[in-house]
Amino acid sequence: MASEIQKRPPSVIDPHQGMGEALVVLQQRNRLIQGLKVTGVWIGLIGLVTAGLLMLHISPAYMLQHYDVILQGAGTTIYVSLVSIAIATVLALFGSVARLSTNSIAQGVSGFYVSLIRGTPLLIQIYVIYLGLPQIGQQLSELGFPALGKLFILDAVPAGILALSLNYGAYMTEIFRAGLQSISYGQREAAIAIGMTPLQVMRRIILPQAIRIIIPDVGNQFIAMQKDSALVSVMGVWEITFIANRYARRDSKYMEMFIVGATAYWILTIISSWLQGWLEKRMAQAYER
Amino acid sequence: MSAEPIIEVAGLHKWFGMLHVLSDISLEVEAREVICIIGRSGSGKSTLLRCINFLEEPSAGKITVDKLVVAAGGKGREHRRLVHNIRLKTGMVFQEFNLFPHMSVLENVLEGPVTVKRMDRAKAVEIAEMNLERVGLLFKKDEYPNRLSGGQKQRVAIARALAMEPKVMLFDEPTSALDPELIGEVLNVMKKLAEEGTTMLVVTHEMGFAREVADRVVVMAEGEMIEEGRPADVFNSPRDPRTQALIERYRSGGAK
Repeated sequence: MASEIQKRPPSVIDPHQGMGEALVVLQQRNRLIQGLKVTGVWIGLIGLVTAGLLMLHISPAYMLQHYDVILQGAGTTIYVSLVSIAIATVLALFGSVARLSTNSIAQGVSGFYVSLIRGTPLLIQIYVIYLGLPQIGQQLSELGFPALGKLFILDAVPAGILALSLNYGAYMTEIFRAGLQSISYGQREAAIAIGMTPLQVMRRIILPQAIRIIIPDVGNQFIAMQKDSALVSVMGVWEITFIANRYARRDSKYMEMFIVGATAYWILTIISSWLQGWLEKRMAQAYER
Repeated sequence: MSAEPIIEVAGLHKWFGMLHVLSDISLEVEAREVICIIGRSGSGKSTLLRCINFLEEPSAGKITVDKLVVAAGGKGREHRRLVHNIRLKTGMVFQEFNLFPHMSVLENVLEGPVTVKRMDRAKAVEIAEMNLERVGLLFKKDEYPNRLSGGQKQRVAIARALAMEPKVMLFDEPTSALDPELIGEVLNVMKKLAEEGTTMLVVTHEMGFAREVADRVVVMAEGEMIEEGRPADVFNSPRDPRTQALIERYRSGGAK
């Protein structure tokens, strides 16, 4: 900040500049004090929660010995979440454009998709995809389409990714639709008037502006998904919750493993929030005054 | 004036639902002519302008721009191609500027030549910078629209339209969204364009500009063209009582 003050061109020297500089220093100090206070409250609360957990008859030593197996699961959790959010984003992009189109087939398909997925629990969707799809595959093979049938028999990880992508794609379709609709009609008209095709208008004018509005919501969805990915443990995907569960049962250390697992999720989401904030700042570039 | 009109509007009708906003409009614009369309709000003057480049689809009638004839109510690929070509021949300036906020001033002006005309970037930059110079804003080329005043935004919007090298410029109330002290700079740019021989169709409430710059003034009321003529005739001896009332309101500094 101090260097920024010096960078000002000499032409705007203000006889009262000292007053402004003192004010800036004061504001900075107040912000720092505020930050320290908030951090203190956090540390206090973490201490309180830890004290509560220690009353649970848990074995901290066991937790320390086993945090590394959770870390292995975290790799799978991150992988499944990242791939799923990427696929969900593509689905949402097509879904939202379809919902806004005047084509009746596109409108019908996207509306049906969003309604069906949002109207049913994710856990049941996971069961249907994991247990139901192979049955369809088997039927198709028996009907004489073995190659087609094979496509329906998925391993646990791809099945989990499919379920999460489909589910989040539906919710994000609505987010994307709102984002696209928030761009004023004047933008579209200005682009049309210089001769752009609908595809060019979307790609060059509407999407780049809508993405800035959508990014915070996609970040929230990604954070939510990291935790919802715990549900794919029912398919036997070796992610955080599955591993925590497995060790918990084997050694009868339920609280220990679930606490370590929960901590891993928490740390993941804190990192994601940081990334989200950084991305938002970058996207705001053109809008600074 | 040359014999062949560059724009020909023939028998144009526009309905919004049951509302008949344009009724049997016929208008010819010759090359290098400046026409100002005046009238009260809701008289259909903006709709007329927007029908010329098909931002509004006309309900009936025929639009000709630079020998390209497009009839109302067309459908399908051929119609879309014709409409696209008409838009390439017309540049449009909007009341609300509608600059692309995620692009710098230069990128705004480059967008048409590069994306639509697929022009070589170096050549497009040359054209863009020349047109920014014309509106006096080359020094702002790396700024984002958010950092410009309303008048500057509108001048960039004019440069953006000019960069497509259109046959005709359409202005839809270009100064109506501006603070009074910023109107002059935009009108000055438009006046300069008129002096350079740009064919212009201007929907405006700026009577002083119409009187000084226009070759012809068209007066609209209730979706009809009620009067048309040289500015001196229309302003000094209006025939239609509605025109008289309109001009009287502006003389007395009245509102739109």
